[in-house]
Amino acid sequence: MSSLIELLGFGPQGWGHQLVLAMLMTLAVSASAFATGICFGTLGAWAKSAHAALPRRMADGYTTVVRGVPDLLVIYLFYFGGSSALSAIAHALGNQGFFGLNGFLVGTLAVGLVSGAYQTEVLRGAFNAIPHGEIDAARAVGMSGWLMLRRVVAPRLLHYALPGMGNVWQQVLKESALISVTGLVEIMRQVHIGAGSTRRPFEFYITGFFLYLILTTLSGALFRAAEQRSARSERRA
Amino acid sequence: MKAMTLLGAAAAVALTAVLAAPVQAKEWKKVVIATEGAFAPYNLVRPDGKLDGYEIELAADLCGRLKIECTFIATDWNSVIPGLQAGKFDAIMSGMSITPKRLEVIDFSLPYAQSGSTFAVMKDSPLAKMPDTGKRVSLDDKAATDTVLKDLAPALKGRIVGVQVSTIQADVLNMFFKGLVEVRTYGKTEEHDLDLAARRVDAVMSSTNYFVSTLSKPGGELMQLSGPIFVGGPLGAGSGIGLRKADTDLKDMFNKAIKEAKADGTMKTLAIKWFKNDVTPE
Repeated sequence: MSSLIELLGFGPQGWGHQLVLAMLMTLAVSASAFATGICFGTLGAWAKSAHAALPRRMADGYTTVVRGVPDLLVIYLFYFGGSSALSAIAHALGNQGFFGLNGFLVGTLAVGLVSGAYQTEVLRGAFNAIPHGEIDAARAVGMSGWLMLRRVVAPRLLHYALPGMGNVWQQVLKESALISVTGLVEIMRQVHIGAGSTRRPFEFYITGFFLYLILTTLSGALFRAAEQRSARSERRA
Repeated sequence: MKAMTLLGAAAAVALTAVLAAPVQAKEWKKVVIATEGAFAPYNLVRPDGKLDGYEIELAADLCGRLKIECTFIATDWNSVIPGLQAGKFDAIMSGMSITPKRLEVIDFSLPYAQSGSTFAVMKDSPLAKMPDTGKRVSLDDKAATDTVLKDLAPALKGRIVGVQVSTIQADVLNMFFKGLVEVRTYGKTEEHDLDLAARRVDAVMSSTNYFVSTLSKPGGELMQLSGPIFVGGPLGAGSGIGLRKADTDLKDMFNKAIKEAKADGTMKTLAIKWFKNDVTPE
């Protein structure tokens, strides 16, 4: 037991510092990917609700393709394919050397792109769930588009979307482990390094298990609190 | 009109780029080396986050001889070859064995470590006393291989053998033990060690170098090596520095340094420090 504390603690022979840094990295890359996903998701949901056929088709294509391929493949495609393509372009322009994307950027983009597809569906569903009468009522009292969005659509949308968004966030947290293939030292990569370097895999993998569990549990509680807060308007109604 | 402007702008950018960075043969002053950082004792990470291990110290020695500046990047094992080819780094030192399959896509320096591969089993397992234990068998020698396989067949028949996926040991099992044993592949070597300890597999196959450290770790005292030590064939000539095929100049440089380190005993000293046995290739 004491050797376990020494192994995972913050002493000179302890991996505590590295593990905390890795946990922060997981959090940072997940948050960036989730935020990127919100951008893709908002665009996607807007396109899917559009009257014109072209944006609707494009958004359908996006969600179908991205949800239909493994996320790991998307990461590999961006990380190696993206670097090779960038280098090829640079070489064609006469530059030497390597032009790469770093693991954080690639991970954020790849996981963001994938989560954006799921967020598209969540947001579209939430938008469709807003009773049409409320929007008609807002128009009837003469609200402008912006005011209506701020006072009626956004709060209602948020309320309907939050549970689904909470699920997507958990999914993003777990998918961030895939980014370890780029060498980015987040929880997954760090516990693998620790396991391989000390040959004590059980201690490190079980630590990784708990680190992920801490993140998912805490953020789950946050999402639940947010859901309750957004439900206030429901109770009044 | 708009298209013309765009074309003009693109041409201007291209021209500037060409003028700014004239094409020239790369002179090797700085070399970036990739390693897994999780394959002790070849390469590992210390608790303070710094890389260490046989390959890290050997590289420092080789680069010192060549008077070049070498930096290590720790990256995932699955991405070392794609990363080399994409140009993320210039060399791989990650316990990577020189094999005909890998030589199709990348080039290697001379080997700097060669160990055989064998089985590890639990001490109380019926496989603990396999025939030909400790005997060096070259898989290039067909007659010797056939004899040994015949010796091993009764003991191994129907047993489950764990091995890391995409390794030369997995190739050995698939080429020589197919039908005799059930091969179970794992993403990481320590995973098959865990399953050996949990007795979900009857034996695991890996390099003797790797097993030296496995046996010295907690739980390792319950395990032992068994069966012959295989070399050659799909196991290749040992571990070398992985390089792009185009960089023959870098290969010549590393080869020269490896020969020197071998000749003056540096390699042997480092091998004994990290592997507890001399893994200097012949």
